[in-house]
Amino acid sequence: MTFSRPLASALALGLAAGIAAPAAAQTLNVAWSQDATGLDPHTQTAFASIRLLELLYEPLVRLGPNLEIQPAVAESWEFSEDATTLTFNLDPDATFHDGSPVTAADVKASFERILDEATGASARANYTSITAIETPDDQTVVFQLDGPNVPILNGMASINAAIVPASAIEAGTVGTEVMGSGPFTLDARTPNANASLTAFDGWHGGDIAYDGIEVSVLPDETAILASLRAGQADFALLSDPLVATLVPREDSLQLNTAPTLSYHVLQLNASRDPMGELAVRQAISCALDRQDILDAALLGEGEVTGPLTSPAYRNDPSTLFCYEQDQDRARELLAEAGYEDGFSATIMAANGEPPTAAAEAQLIQSQLAEVGIDLTIEMQEMNVYIDSWLAGDFDMAVALNGGRADPYTMYNRYWTEDGNLQGVANYIDDTLDNLMQEGRVETDEAVRKEIFAEFERHLAEMAPWVWLYTGYTYTAQREGVDGFEATPTGSLFGLVDVTLSE
Amino acid sequence: MAVLRALLRHTSGQIGVVVIAVFAVAAVLGLLGLTPHDPLAQDRLARLQGPGATYWMGTDLFGRDILSRLMVGIGQSFAVALLSVGLAAGAGTVLGLTAAWFGKLWDGAVMRAMDVLLAFPAILLALLIVAILGPGLVTSVVAIAIVYTPIFTRVVRGPALSLKTRSFVDAARTFGSSRRYILIRHLLTNLVAPLTVQITLALAWALLTEAALSFLGLGTQPPSPSLGLMLSDSRNLMETAPWMLIFPALVIMLSVLGFNLLGDALRDVFDPRTRRALA
Amino acid sequence: MSYVLRRLLMFPVVMLGVSVFVFVAIRLVPGDAITAMLGTESGLLTPAQRESLTAYFGLDQNWAVQYWRWLTGLLQGDLGLSVTYGQPVSRIIIDRFPLTLELALLSMVIALMIGLPAGVFAATRVERPSDLIVRVFAMIGQSTPNFVLALLAIYILSVVFGILPTMGRFVPLTEDPLGNLAQMILPAIALGTAFAAAVTRISRAAMLDILGEDYVRTARSKGFSQRYVIWRHALPNALIPVITLSGVEFGYLLGGAVIVEQIFALPGLGRVVLDAILQRDYALVQGVVLFIAFNFLLVNLLVDLAYAALDPRIRYGAS
Repeated sequence: MTFSRPLASALALGLAAGIAAPAAAQTLNVAWSQDATGLDPHTQTAFASIRLLELLYEPLVRLGPNLEIQPAVAESWEFSEDATTLTFNLDPDATFHDGSPVTAADVKASFERILDEATGASARANYTSITAIETPDDQTVVFQLDGPNVPILNGMASINAAIVPASAIEAGTVGTEVMGSGPFTLDARTPNANASLTAFDGWHGGDIAYDGIEVSVLPDETAILASLRAGQADFALLSDPLVATLVPREDSLQLNTAPTLSYHVLQLNASRDPMGELAVRQAISCALDRQDILDAALLGEGEVTGPLTSPAYRNDPSTLFCYEQDQDRARELLAEAGYEDGFSATIMAANGEPPTAAAEAQLIQSQLAEVGIDLTIEMQEMNVYIDSWLAGDFDMAVALNGGRADPYTMYNRYWTEDGNLQGVANYIDDTLDNLMQEGRVETDEAVRKEIFAEFERHLAEMAPWVWLYTGYTYTAQREGVDGFEATPTGSLFGLVDVTLSE
Repeated sequence: MAVLRALLRHTSGQIGVVVIAVFAVAAVLGLLGLTPHDPLAQDRLARLQGPGATYWMGTDLFGRDILSRLMVGIGQSFAVALLSVGLAAGAGTVLGLTAAWFGKLWDGAVMRAMDVLLAFPAILLALLIVAILGPGLVTSVVAIAIVYTPIFTRVVRGPALSLKTRSFVDAARTFGSSRRYILIRHLLTNLVAPLTVQITLALAWALLTEAALSFLGLGTQPPSPSLGLMLSDSRNLMETAPWMLIFPALVIMLSVLGFNLLGDALRDVFDPRTRRALA
Repeated sequence: MSYVLRRLLMFPVVMLGVSVFVFVAIRLVPGDAITAMLGTESGLLTPAQRESLTAYFGLDQNWAVQYWRWLTGLLQGDLGLSVTYGQPVSRIIIDRFPLTLELALLSMVIALMIGLPAGVFAATRVERPSDLIVRVFAMIGQSTPNFVLALLAIYILSVVFGILPTMGRFVPLTEDPLGNLAQMILPAIALGTAFAAAVTRISRAAMLDILGEDYVRTARSKGFSQRYVIWRHALPNALIPVITLSGVEFGYLLGGAVIVEQIFALPGLGRVVLDAILQRDYALVQGVVLFIAFNFLLVNLLVDLAYAALDPRIRYGAS
């Protein structure tokens, strides 16, 4: 069962495609566990969809390995002095997969589609401050904003703001036919099974050193590990630290870890008693040993974090409220709130999403039991969990929530008065709302940092949620696969720089 | 008693009885809380420890004692199996008897309904039912009971039908016995043998189905232990902590084996014709 | 009415019952199909968007209308559109069924290749040590759940012997037969073991029955060799129960092996149906489950008909 794989499968691929396989055809075999749920870049939100679409489509700008803004369809950009106008100059070499150039008209049509409520674009809220889109010439796009808005540039560095051809929008084929300007074209795809990508010759970002990518969707991470070991996969994405830490046991495999923006969190529902009591929430925060949960559930693979997870804004969490476990203090706080004998509540977690959820729930249950809080675990299927989560129908929830490079885009949905996920956050006060609004309009980086540091301190002290830690994203590769650079967003865009030897 | 004596003279019967007895003792001890350690207690200093003096079968990711968790897990599995098979046998007997007795429309309706249920692979039907009712122990009992009801209905209806047509029932009828008396006295006594065999074998399947459901995360909910969940937890840790795989796997295999052996032996004991063939 | 005719007439009745059962069952599962499709971000949908999505998938009608639509579509070969795949359900079945069929066939081949000789062998050596060994193995095989066997096999192969079971991108049979076999053999063994054990037990019992029959004894007394008697006279008759059993087991395997497919990362029907139930993909669950039930009933019907044809002694329709 240990045949030499890469050659055989490259051959097989050639046969399947009905072409005589040239000896030098180099295919990168990639495995991941969750498939894209759809192909419309504007409406897809699942991480699994985004990482595939990032190889096919391009936004105006994208985030680099250190979350710095990099050119994509646009080669340069500029805010006006008062940050109310944002101008992009498009890359004249950028073309769609059919060879037609990417023009200002395509950008305008794409944003109009995103802003059209009927589209159901997932990131629409990030762009509603756009009041007009002007196209003085084919290479220039000017966005007029309703006020100063610096985070909008970060918000545009998302595949949810991908540029699609105006003609495809008109024909209504966005989402059914892939026509992007990204580094790969999509040749074939069987949902939940596989996808074939071919490197796009005309990509304006440069040449890709191999011919294409063959993706297999293997729902089980141990199977991904097995396929790496057997040489069936050259490159894989892993999310379960229990599996990822086994990768280096094989000499021919290399594990890449990158810190993520997404954070593991214990969400408390402050609209329900007794979590409505500040002292009770604080007691829960004090009762938990974050490092210990991290050590057991993720085998220590991660870092304890406060609410801010983006490297540019991240602070030393040890200065935050009760980040050192202090069970005596927890008991005092409980007594203060009138719960000296503790209380009972339920804690919900999703089956397998993240893979560590069940373990986290059990560790939290065990640690809170020590201060008299009696939790009942409710494991739910992902979509039942999401229903309850959206409706705010839970006492406590174990969650892995996605992060963004900018704290405002990351948290405005939860911690502002009219955030569209306020019903999930279930807590808001004036301080939080004010700090968020200040952060939105502030253009000075240093001042913004201080504003969000204050926001973080306040959030940790009010403890509507108990932030635990961030994990890593893992990619694994076989010997001979070089040049991939991981990013905190978990993007696989770095695959364009990969070289294959052998 | 005669049955029991015959059973204990039967080799596979002996083995079956011993295996089941051992697991039954472990199950009762587990359910009474008489385990070497607290099955829920997390020992921070002994996470993922191999079998040793303190933890005979090692510990899991949280430093919980595998042996204690297995004992409670067996207890819950046996409880689910006994309850669900009891329900299925009860429902199946009532449906089978009434179908045979009343015949006509009722018989047709019952048997077609059973045909519909039998058209699904067992695990698929159980999955659907659990998805509707939500995961948990009670749900597992209901789901497994529904899955195995058709088998009992068929097992009961067949003999009931042939007994009904046989003369001694007619004879009893002419002597003026009440309908209920006929049913209970004659039919039921003749159903004891096939039902006992079927119940024992169904217990083996029920254990299997319960393990499969909890393996998929649809049975007992954490942190309370279940054999299937322990097995599924072991998958990603197979290389680091093989004891998490091997002990639950052995327990599932042996307990199913026990009921299968017992069922076979019972079939031989009740049916002298096959005794020669399978003894 | 003849037995054959009655069985044929019952088939559509039971299928109709199955269709109603599946249709109602999946709608009783808590959770909303649209939320299941969009995840957390479905919270951002406006009521108008939600409505148009619901209408698109035909979920805005009442159950009776939905059922009628589904049933009439069904009769025209249209199983509906899967919410999660955005593809026709029939397309998904066509994609996935070959794997399930192959796995079922492979398991059956393994079961018959091991079970039949073992059963016949044991029957000719009743009560001798070799018979006992066969029976012990058969008993253990029958008592080991396929997913336990699958996990133990992976563990023993990869951890103890360092051999890597091939799991990974599924290679269709048509693309690379050897590579395909390398992927399918372990799951087929996991599924085929209990099947083989059942075949062993039933073929042994059937052989013993037949060897005791008058005509076989007569043949023996006429001086025919033991081997000749077994292969010419006994085996063909002993095959009848084996065929019945294999048919039923094969019918079950066509329903997909939910857990084994998951463990070995095989994209078969079992995995589709599990995902579809968990994701509330109504059309997909309905279509696939109906397809599975149809196969199962069809195989059983064929087995029954074959049984009636092979063994005219069996008198049906007594009731």
